[in-house]
Amino acid sequence: MATAQNTTAHVVRRGVQPLRAAEGTTFLWRKLHSLLGIIPLGAFLLEHLLSNFEALKGPAAYGAQVHFLNSLPLVRVLEWVFIFIPLAYHGLYGVYIWLRGKSNIVYYPWAGNWMYTAQRYTGVIAFFYIAQHVIRQRFMGVSLPEHPYMAFAKVQHELANPWMLAVYIIAMIAICWHFAYGIWLFAAKWGILPGKQARKRFGYVCAALGVALAVLGLAGIWAFVGGRYPQAAENPPAAVSQTAVPAGPAALATVRTMLS
Amino acid sequence: MADKKLQLEIKRQASPDDPAEWERFELDWRPGMNLVSAMMDIAANPVTADGRPTTPVTYDSNCLEEICGSCAMRINGKARMACSALIDNLEQPIRVEPLSKFPLVRDLQVDRSVLFENLKAVKAWVPVDGTYDLGEGPRVYPQQQEANYPLSNCISCTCCMEVCPQFNESTGFVGAATIAQVKLFNNHPTGKVFKEERLRALAGDGGIQECGFAQNCVEACPKQLPLTEAISDLGREVAVQKVKDFLRK
Repeated sequence: MATAQNTTAHVVRRGVQPLRAAEGTTFLWRKLHSLLGIIPLGAFLLEHLLSNFEALKGPAAYGAQVHFLNSLPLVRVLEWVFIFIPLAYHGLYGVYIWLRGKSNIVYYPWAGNWMYTAQRYTGVIAFFYIAQHVIRQRFMGVSLPEHPYMAFAKVQHELANPWMLAVYIIAMIAICWHFAYGIWLFAAKWGILPGKQARKRFGYVCAALGVALAVLGLAGIWAFVGGRYPQAAENPPAAVSQTAVPAGPAALATVRTMLS
Repeated sequence: MADKKLQLEIKRQASPDDPAEWERFELDWRPGMNLVSAMMDIAANPVTADGRPTTPVTYDSNCLEEICGSCAMRINGKARMACSALIDNLEQPIRVEPLSKFPLVRDLQVDRSVLFENLKAVKAWVPVDGTYDLGEGPRVYPQQQEANYPLSNCISCTCCMEVCPQFNESTGFVGAATIAQVKLFNNHPTGKVFKEERLRALAGDGGIQECGFAQNCVEACPKQLPLTEAISDLGREVAVQKVKDFLRK
């Protein structure tokens, strides 16, 4: 080999550089990315899907759930520290991880390799979906922290657009997939499940969890589009005072139920 | 028998800076051929399928029994050892290319010294220099030997690195082989004197954190090393070591 001439002070000139032993900070950043995916983001996903499930009980119950969440102590701090900042970090660093990997399923179409690639695609779907979801549902239109009981009408109006509904369904499946496989990856990479057999069994557990979460999430979506609760005539206005009556019969019905 | 032929397509490149080109070869089939013996036949009569004289194909090989790790190359797209690639088991024409992740030297020969550098970076050895007699080493129980033996089977062929989506120039990932050797030498009663150093080394840039757990390494390994198990175990140990170091600072 070309290395034989000089073994004492060999320098790799081309190709992949050797390990920078005990140098640099990528370990910390990568592990933080991994950890944040489970806590708090995974925990938040569970909470969000369970809260959405409340929508099956109707606009009032959904509004009450949104109201409850927004009445948590220091809720704005919780929101930024445990949701927005971890989300942004996990998403942006995740894109960075994706860009640095070179997928090769064409040559090596093995199960683990497919999952590796799928984790990147589901992640980037989640990233763009969540970005628009947070902007449109949290920071645009009627402010739900101030008017929690308008939540149902706001979401229902969003999902009335069939394209948007398709986006929500695809994103729901992608995110549940990403989280379920993310738990498996976490257990594998942090050394919780070193054994091959144990990892395989846990794979089934994670798959079941992913399917269950996706069903839960899709049921939540169904609550808004299934036709059980009438569609609001128009989107709730962006600026509405505390006492103003929201537009649309459904929103009105919501407020009535809430007051009764 | 003599009229049975086999078709080979080999990617040739005279030097790292020359353009690559494919050459087709048609050889007489013999029973029990493997890819190295086929290339030996080419060396004996270096003429392409269309009758053009050419040079013998350059490639690394030594033991021809899948134990030295030299002859790794891409055969029909997949990284594997040429010596254990039996011609009768391969789809023809057999397409042969050099490993793609290592600097090319010539034809199918690549410079895999990055693995040697990585093994040095994690001190993958037992630190006994033999300058004086230390007496008997500590006893290694059979149970521990059983656990270590599969890890000691590594032949440094670099197939695990070639097939890894994370092993590339952007990450500078260390690769599964080195991680498995860390586990082997940390398990050794004398070798474990460097245990903490090795774990810290693996937390450096390009370290164990870059693993994406695509598990290609364990699929491709010709010696069936428990690579994913080693990555998982060391993932835990490196994380614990980093936390310990942080708390003791």
